[in-house]
Amino acid sequence: MSLIDSVMAGLALVGNWEAFLSLAIGVVIGVVGGAIPGISATMAVALALPFTFPMQPINGILLLLGVYKGGIFGGSIPAILIKTPGTPASSATILDGHPLAAQGEAGRALGMALWASCTADFVSNLALIFFAGFLASFALSFGPPEFFALILFSLTIIAGVSGESLLRGALSALLGLLLATIGLDLVYGTNRFTFGDPNLMGGLNFIAVLIGLFAIPEVINMAWHPTGHIGKVQKLGSKWVTFAEYKRSFRSIIRGSFIGVFLGSIPGIGAAPAAFLSYSEARRKSPNKANFGKGEIEGVAASEAGNNGVAGATLIPLLALGVPGDVITAIIIGAFMVHGLQPGPMMFVLNVDIIYGLFIGLILSSGILFIVGGLAIRGFRPVADIPKRILMPMVLVLCIYGVFAVNNNIFDVGVMFVMGWVGFVMSRYHIPAAPFLIAFILGPLLEDNFRQSMLMSGSSPDILLRGPITWFFWALTVISIVAITRGTLRAAKSKD
Amino acid sequence: MQMQLGIGAIFAALFLILYAIPNWVSSPSNVRNIVLSPLFWPYILGGLTGLTGLALLLTGRQRLGSGDPVNEPIDDPRQGVLRLTAIAGLMVATFWVMPWLGMVWTSMLAFVALAFLVRTRHPVTAFVCAIVVPLVLYAFFAHVASVAIPQGELVRLP
Repeated sequence: MSLIDSVMAGLALVGNWEAFLSLAIGVVIGVVGGAIPGISATMAVALALPFTFPMQPINGILLLLGVYKGGIFGGSIPAILIKTPGTPASSATILDGHPLAAQGEAGRALGMALWASCTADFVSNLALIFFAGFLASFALSFGPPEFFALILFSLTIIAGVSGESLLRGALSALLGLLLATIGLDLVYGTNRFTFGDPNLMGGLNFIAVLIGLFAIPEVINMAWHPTGHIGKVQKLGSKWVTFAEYKRSFRSIIRGSFIGVFLGSIPGIGAAPAAFLSYSEARRKSPNKANFGKGEIEGVAASEAGNNGVAGATLIPLLALGVPGDVITAIIIGAFMVHGLQPGPMMFVLNVDIIYGLFIGLILSSGILFIVGGLAIRGFRPVADIPKRILMPMVLVLCIYGVFAVNNNIFDVGVMFVMGWVGFVMSRYHIPAAPFLIAFILGPLLEDNFRQSMLMSGSSPDILLRGPITWFFWALTVISIVAITRGTLRAAKSKD
Repeated sequence: MQMQLGIGAIFAALFLILYAIPNWVSSPSNVRNIVLSPLFWPYILGGLTGLTGLALLLTGRQRLGSGDPVNEPIDDPRQGVLRLTAIAGLMVATFWVMPWLGMVWTSMLAFVALAFLVRTRHPVTAFVCAIVVPLVLYAFFAHVASVAIPQGELVRLP
């Protein structure tokens, strides 16, 4: 079958209103689900899955993909408005999105989040279509030593989100790495800081830590200083993002999109590290470096481009190899199987119409996301106008429900409260929370891949430099550390 | 502030290395190489925390009194501490009461208590929201998302 025949076959499959409607409904569910903290894109996809069983395979899968893409963008809405990320992927959006909301420019931040999300989504979809085979075979050559080198390099992004003090950022990251060690040891199954409590054996719930660290300190801070917000505007504002701002941030958006595509095509990395890496790179390259973390629109663009760039790319290993790139695609692979489809190389031969139908649907999804996202921003507008002393109790209740819903476990609510106090103390000592979160995500991956490498090599460290991929990432790590050290020394000199 | 952080980090590192890791991290006796031991990573992190603390202490000493970030002052620090104690108590009570009273009723009480604590200027709105928000969330999570929201032992919702 020629390329034209394949495209026509795909078009025949999705060129009807049912397919279009499924995609649109999926995007709406995703945006709403992502915008409710605790629901997250993962949960929204899981909840929508059973409804796809009686549908045509292509319509069902398009609905789930719509939920996925909508969910990743939807998470940015509460991240910007109430400093509570709807999904882990939108954690980096808080860094500049919420300060913009506090300055009365939430509408501008949300507008840029939408534009950057749609652009990155489109780039990611194109990458999926053009590079699925190539990137999947590249990702397949990643073993534990390559993952270790990649994650070690990813940890250097901590410098980019450390704010004014690199040492405080490092302390925050170490705290995150330490808390990530809680639970059963993955190699020997022994206890680490579990105190015999079964609730701790699986480690701390990521959503509880995330919401505890970002949302609860706001609630505690409101109790500490109930009138502190008076005089600080918290409105959607009349100012919207302009094309000139989009153009100014375009390089960061494209860079973030490719970072998302690259990290998304490697199974197991996820959208949150991509968003932080994109943010960190944008900050490093931007002429407005000093304004990052204080309400820089380019920061919002970079974070959203990073996390949305992942959305299409995680389908690369799924479709080309049958390997899910993250939890959401692991759920989506279930939908394929329920409909008697087996993602992988053979699908490109046996079900080429479905493959191209999905490609066409994904391209359409970027446009639908733009329309639905625009409406959602206006729909969630009242949130920005709620008095803060009514909003904070609402946030507290929403966090309790949201965190409980992840695992149906009250213990997670307790973890969230404790992390809230940790976050509050950190904010009083001006320790940034973002490095903590990055380290908490990447810490277990770093340790597991290091120990797996050591097991493979009989404890010889030579394996960590075993081939061109590891050399490449080690070189990037060294270059990053040199650049960070030079930057820090230069900043210290200029202060003197 | 930087020096306080440094001293805190050094004490935390010492506590980890001398007490917490030896007592609260277990390792099988047949681990042949230290790098494969469950203890290896926590010890590395403990050591790095100590070094970071030392660096914070030294840089803090260099710029003593200058360049430290400052927190926004509040009018009534003593009242503030009382409110912080109250919100801590509210969180503890929420956590312990929830299995008995149910998530909906506990959330309603927590909402009212927090709105009172932060001295809301809209008490009637707060009271209405305290009833409506937990009920709407319950309806969504229990009936749409099929999450088993704790009902408690007193009043059960449909």
